[in-house]
Amino acid sequence: MAQSEVISSIQLQWDRVLGRLRAEVGEAAYRSWLKPLTLLSSDDSCVRMAVPTRFMRDWVAGNYQDRIQALWQDEVGVSSAVEIVVLPLARPVPKPALVEVGVEAEVPLSGKPESPREEAELPAIAEAPRVAEFQSLSGSLDPRFTFDNFVVGKPNELAYAAARRVAEAENVPFNPLFLYGGVGLGKTHLMHAIAHQIRNVYPQKKVIYLSAEKFMYQFVRALRTKDTMSFKEQFRSVDVLMIDDVQFIGGREATQEEFFHTFNALVDQNRQVVISADKSPSDLAGVEDRMKSRLGWGLVADIHPTTYELRLGILESKAEQLDVIIPQKVIEFLAHKITSNIRELEGALNRIVAHATLVGRAVSLETTQEVLHDLLRANDRRVTIEEIQKKVAEHFNVRISDMHSSRRARAVARPRQIAMYLSKHLTSRSLPEIGRKFGGRDHTTVMHAVKKVEELKSGDVEFSEDIELLRRMLEN
Amino acid sequence: MDSSQLPLDLGHRPALGREDFLIAPCNEVAVAWIDRWPDWPGHAMGFYGPSGCGKTHLAQVWRADSAAVLVTAEGLAEMDADVLLAGQRNCVVDDIVLALTESSELQRRLFHLYNYVREEKGYLLFTGQEAPARWAVGLPDLASRLAAVPAFALGLPDDFLFEALLVKLFYDRQLTISKEVLRFLVLRLDRSFEAARQIVSTLDQASLASQREITIPFIRGILEKETRE
Repeated sequence: MAQSEVISSIQLQWDRVLGRLRAEVGEAAYRSWLKPLTLLSSDDSCVRMAVPTRFMRDWVAGNYQDRIQALWQDEVGVSSAVEIVVLPLARPVPKPALVEVGVEAEVPLSGKPESPREEAELPAIAEAPRVAEFQSLSGSLDPRFTFDNFVVGKPNELAYAAARRVAEAENVPFNPLFLYGGVGLGKTHLMHAIAHQIRNVYPQKKVIYLSAEKFMYQFVRALRTKDTMSFKEQFRSVDVLMIDDVQFIGGREATQEEFFHTFNALVDQNRQVVISADKSPSDLAGVEDRMKSRLGWGLVADIHPTTYELRLGILESKAEQLDVIIPQKVIEFLAHKITSNIRELEGALNRIVAHATLVGRAVSLETTQEVLHDLLRANDRRVTIEEIQKKVAEHFNVRISDMHSSRRARAVARPRQIAMYLSKHLTSRSLPEIGRKFGGRDHTTVMHAVKKVEELKSGDVEFSEDIELLRRMLEN
Repeated sequence: MDSSQLPLDLGHRPALGREDFLIAPCNEVAVAWIDRWPDWPGHAMGFYGPSGCGKTHLAQVWRADSAAVLVTAEGLAEMDADVLLAGQRNCVVDDIVLALTESSELQRRLFHLYNYVREEKGYLLFTGQEAPARWAVGLPDLASRLAAVPAFALGLPDDFLFEALLVKLFYDRQLTISKEVLRFLVLRLDRSFEAARQIVSTLDQASLASQREITIPFIRGILEKETRE
């Protein structure tokens, strides 16, 4: 006999043993404890099998080992020892991912996270005598935040045009450029796009991009290490300084003072400064008046909340970047429902696509609602037994009191069984508890009802669809 | 006078390895994401679900893979992001929502932590009973980021998982129970992680105190006593 035939015949014997065990212990115990057993090897003295976890081994060894041994002996005709070992399940190999682009998906889905060294190979600024220092000062840029990927519409066209102008002009066109708008409307995208573009068009220019909070950290660190001189020098020798989310500088006096001096020094030397914030300069809280007025000297461009058309455009462009087919119905649904800002809109699309990739199904309106239910619905209401009884009674046109009554006529008994079945599946209530709510019935009655409905469901498509409909009505 | 001894609470260490995690339909999506890391749809992810549904366990499994730092409300309140992460790039933000709702300073700090992790090209895992999108957060910058975090639910256990869960909880306390006891409990308990945890703890204590084995009559006695109270 060839090797493979030996193995397959042992496997067949094992399958027969499993079949007998299944009949002996019942479906629930079989699925929990015996089905996960994997046959490893068998010789005259010993049959070895594996389970995925330690406590499963103890449980199976304690409760089923004797029966396994007896049945195995029946099957092969000789007495052999049963050995159960723990063998953790192999992890699934990740499939190549579809999702690679996104405002919030800053980290590509595929591949390992980039190491700090790789990051250093993609400098945010061009070669300069002190490249290393600038890199440590500058924040990293998202390679996907470019002008090409920015969807332009009425609400953001002014900011977009101003950003492009600053990025492409040889001389400083207006100073500073102050971009402002509510959260998640694309300020950071525009900031990164400016930095990318300057790097492409004027590689010799020194650009620093960082968030106000990082500026603050750097400054505080310099104060701590008594190295404020080199801090000042570094910041004041750049060609372009970009500070994101400047509202976070409000209220911090020392940092604000330093920022103000840096800002003035750069503007006086005719170096470009680009600032973003969530409010206009005059509305910034905790910022000194002289600073507010200086921030407003150049061009102030605001980004307005999105319109339905812009949201449609963003979703379509994003779906194209992701290279996935999103049904038009889903795009319209999202554009209609998620109106707060672009970050949340793209975040929602990312989630849907990621989920579809994970489970290997196409995107549909139904999965969209399921995946985004934490965003779309205000809260997760747990359905109660009373609600189930009411809904089922309405559906089958019987009285609610029939749910508790002892009447056995099929016209009321069947809906009652269905309500018990749904109570078992949609709530966490125990069988005795469910029995109590149905007129003080015994838990074995509930068990019987659950079994009955399961039987009917598997034999009758129409019945099964009816139950699904009820379930969906109750869950939404 | 109750003659039962007061047991010393020596505590027990639940087994929290990947091979100890029970995979079932109610949590398989979350497990799949942990297994796929760093192939995630973004640099932040959220797991949410009822108390005891395995969020902490799963976060623990991920921490073992990713060297992620566990961030608590206290730690966040005291330390800046760079100090908190101490050279690491990944972190788990565990059960922070209550403290977060009450403190705008903490919200600001979480926002900075979020940006810091993103800057460092690290990953962040949020856990809580509710999805991050639902956390009551006043700081708009943070709220909009949380709303964009892909969040996946861990649900209530089905019968199969519930049975295995009970066995595991007993196993964690080095207790063995019979199949009959298991069946008895599965039929009579609320099918929630919380109920399972509670009954196992109660039975463990009671059996230690009375020095009795965990049998069906013994459990019946405990359950009846609890109903009376």
